[in-house]
Amino acid sequence: MDFKKRLKAAVHYTVGCLCEEVASDKEVQLSRQTIAAISEVTFRQCESFAKDLEMFARHAKRSTINTEDVKLLARRSNSLLKYITEKSEEFNVERKTKKKKKLEDENKDSLEPAEAGGVGSEN
Amino acid sequence: MADGDISDNEPTTRTLLRRVLDTEAPRTPRRRQSTRAGVQRTPLGTPFSMRLRSQTKTTAGRQPHRARSIGRLAHIQTRGQLKEQTPRTLLENILLTAPESSMVMPESAVKPVPAPQVVQVVQFSRRESSPGSLELQLPELNAPTTLAPGRLTSGRRKKRLRLSEFQQGMDQELPLSQGPVTEPPGNTGASSLSSSLNLTFATPLLPQSVQRPGLARRPPTRRAVDVGIFLQDLQDTSVATAFPDTVLEDTQPFSQPLIGRSPSVHHSLPYPSLSAERTVSRRTRSSGPGLQNNSPGKPAQLLAGKAEEVDALAMRFPNTSSGTSGVDGLEPLLGGVGEEVEERMEESMSLSEVKEATGAQASARAEEPEAHTEVAEAEGSWGAIEEKELEGSSGDKDTEGRTARPELASSTPEFPRARQLEFLEPAPPTSTAVGLFRQQVIPAPSLSSEPLEPLSARLPTRLQTAGPRLRQDPYKMGLSHYAKLFSFYAKMPMEKKALEMVEKCLDKYFQRLCDDLDVFAAHAGRKTVRLEDLELLMRRQGLVTDRVSLHVLVEQHLPLEYRQLLIPCAFSGNTVFPAQ
Repeated sequence: MDFKKRLKAAVHYTVGCLCEEVASDKEVQLSRQTIAAISEVTFRQCESFAKDLEMFARHAKRSTINTEDVKLLARRSNSLLKYITEKSEEFNVERKTKKKKKLEDENKDSLEPAEAGGVGSEN
Repeated sequence: MADGDISDNEPTTRTLLRRVLDTEAPRTPRRRQSTRAGVQRTPLGTPFSMRLRSQTKTTAGRQPHRARSIGRLAHIQTRGQLKEQTPRTLLENILLTAPESSMVMPESAVKPVPAPQVVQVVQFSRRESSPGSLELQLPELNAPTTLAPGRLTSGRRKKRLRLSEFQQGMDQELPLSQGPVTEPPGNTGASSLSSSLNLTFATPLLPQSVQRPGLARRPPTRRAVDVGIFLQDLQDTSVATAFPDTVLEDTQPFSQPLIGRSPSVHHSLPYPSLSAERTVSRRTRSSGPGLQNNSPGKPAQLLAGKAEEVDALAMRFPNTSSGTSGVDGLEPLLGGVGEEVEERMEESMSLSEVKEATGAQASARAEEPEAHTEVAEAEGSWGAIEEKELEGSSGDKDTEGRTARPELASSTPEFPRARQLEFLEPAPPTSTAVGLFRQQVIPAPSLSSEPLEPLSARLPTRLQTAGPRLRQDPYKMGLSHYAKLFSFYAKMPMEKKALEMVEKCLDKYFQRLCDDLDVFAAHAGRKTVRLEDLELLMRRQGLVTDRVSLHVLVEQHLPLEYRQLLIPCAFSGNTVFPAQ
C-alpha cells in the first residue's frame, strides 16, 4: 500500500508538471482538482495497461512483455499507435546500429589487442 | 319434510339438488323427501315426464335417482295420493320454479286433490313440451293449477330452475349441449332432460381454456411492412446480380433450389448442399432441445418483424428470383437473400453452428463456417463480420434468453414455415433457432465472442471478394433487429433517430469486436480465432475476472448443450473409466 501511495504521488507530480507545461503552452489555467483528477485517471489507466500487457504477453505464450504487446495495447488510438510504431522502429534501428557498432567494436577490439599483442610480441 | 327440503333449496338450487340426490336412495323412510326431491327436480319438466313414463323402468340408472323418486311419485299418484306430500311434490313440480318453500308448500298443501290431476296435466304438458322450453311448461302448468301465488316468482323460478336443471345435469353428468337444442318430443328422458338442460342453459360452461389461462397465446402479429421491405430488398438484390460468383456461395438455404436450377454453378452447389444439410441438421438439433414445439408458439412479436421480413425475403427470393432472373441471377439473389436470411435471422443458428463447430465436429463444422464466411463475403467485409458478430452475440443472448423468451421464436418460425415448405427448410429452422435463442437484452457481444472463433478466422481472408453493395442491406437489417429489441426493452416510445444511433453504435461496436478478435488471433501468431482470443476479449471487457472465469459464464448463460461443447469436462462428467 505504501508503494502504491508513493507511486501515486510520483505520478501526480509528473502529471502536474506536464499540465503546467500545457497550461503555459495553451495559455489556459488548470485547477488543482483537474490535475488531481487527471493524475488519478492516469494511475488507474496505468494499472489497466499493466494488466492488459500481462494478458497479451500470456496470450502470446510469452513471459516477457514485448513491444508487440504494447502496440496491441495502443491500437485503439491511431495517432498513438503511429507514434509508438515509429518510435519502435527508431528503437530497432538504433539497436541494429548499436549492434553493428558493437560487433565492429568487438572486432576491432579483438583485432586491436591481437595486433597490439602482435605488435607487442613483435616488439 | 318438504318444507325442510324446500327451505334447503332456497339457499341454492344446487345444494338443494345435491341434497335431493343424496336423499334419493332410501325409499321407504324418505319417500317424502325423495319424492319431494324428485318433484323439486322434475318440475323442470322433462325428467318428470320421463319418469312418469318410465315409472318402473328407470330405476336402475343414474337418472333413476330422480326416476325412482318420480317413479315413486307416479306410484303414489297411481295409488292416489298415498301421502299428502306427493301431491305437494307434484304441485311443486308443476310450479317448476326454483324451490321456494313458502310459495310451494302452501300451494301444494292447498291442492292435494287437484295435484294428481295437475300432475297428469303436467305430465302431458311436459311430455309435449319436453323438447320445448321450460318456460312453456311453466305457464302451462301454472295456468291449469290454481297455484296463483307461484306465478309471481315463476320468472325467477324459471331462471333458477334452469340453473338448477343445468346443475343437475352437470351433477348427473348428463351431456350438455351449449346451444339450445330442440329435440323431438318423443325423446327419452335423457334426451328430454338434456334438451331441457339445453333450454335451461343459462350459465355457459366455462371453457377449459379459461381454467388454464397460461395456455392462451397471443396470435403472432404479422407486419405489413414485409412487403415493402421485401420489394426493396428485391430490387437491391436484383442489382446485386453483378456478383454471381461470390453470392452463389452464400446461398445455403437456397441450396436445394439452386441445385436444381443452376447446375452450371458447380462451385456453389457443393457448399450450399453441404451447408444446407448441415444447417438443417444443426437447426433441427438446435431447435430440438425442446424448442420445436415452442417455436411455433414463440412469435417473436418483438423480433418477428425483422425475422418475418427476412424470412419473407428469403422465402420469396428463391421464388421470385427463380421465376424472373435467370439461373445466374437466381443464385446471386438467393445468395444475397440467403446471406441476409442466414446472417440476420439465423443468428442463433450460426451461433449454435459455431458452437457446435468449436465443440464437437470441427471438420464438419468447418465447412459450414466456410459457407457462412462465404456468405459474409458476398455481403461485404464489414457487414459480414458484423453479421457474424451479431449472430454470435445474438446467439449468445438467445441462448441465455431462450427460456425467458420462448415467444419470440415462435412467431418467426410460424411465418416462414408456412412458406418454406419446399426448400427453405434451413431458413425457418434457423429463424426458429434464432428466435429460440434470442435474448432480451441488447446484444452482449462479450458472450458472443466464443462461437465466432471459427467464423471470424476466415472472415478476414475472404472479405475482400464480396462487393459492398449487398453488405449494406443485410448489415442494416441485422442491426435493425437489435434496434427493435432495444426499443422493446426500453418500454418507451423511441424516436427513429435514436434507433438509428443505436444501430450506428452497435455497428461500430461489432466492428471493433471483430477487429479485436482478429488482432488477438494474429498476436498469438494464429490465423484462426480461438477460445483464448475470446476469453482475452472478455477479460478486457471485464466480464471474465479472476473471480469469474469463462466456464462460469458459460454455465450461467448458455444452455446445457452448448455447455457440453464448450466445457469438455462438463460433458464427460458422468463417464467413469477404469483406472488403467
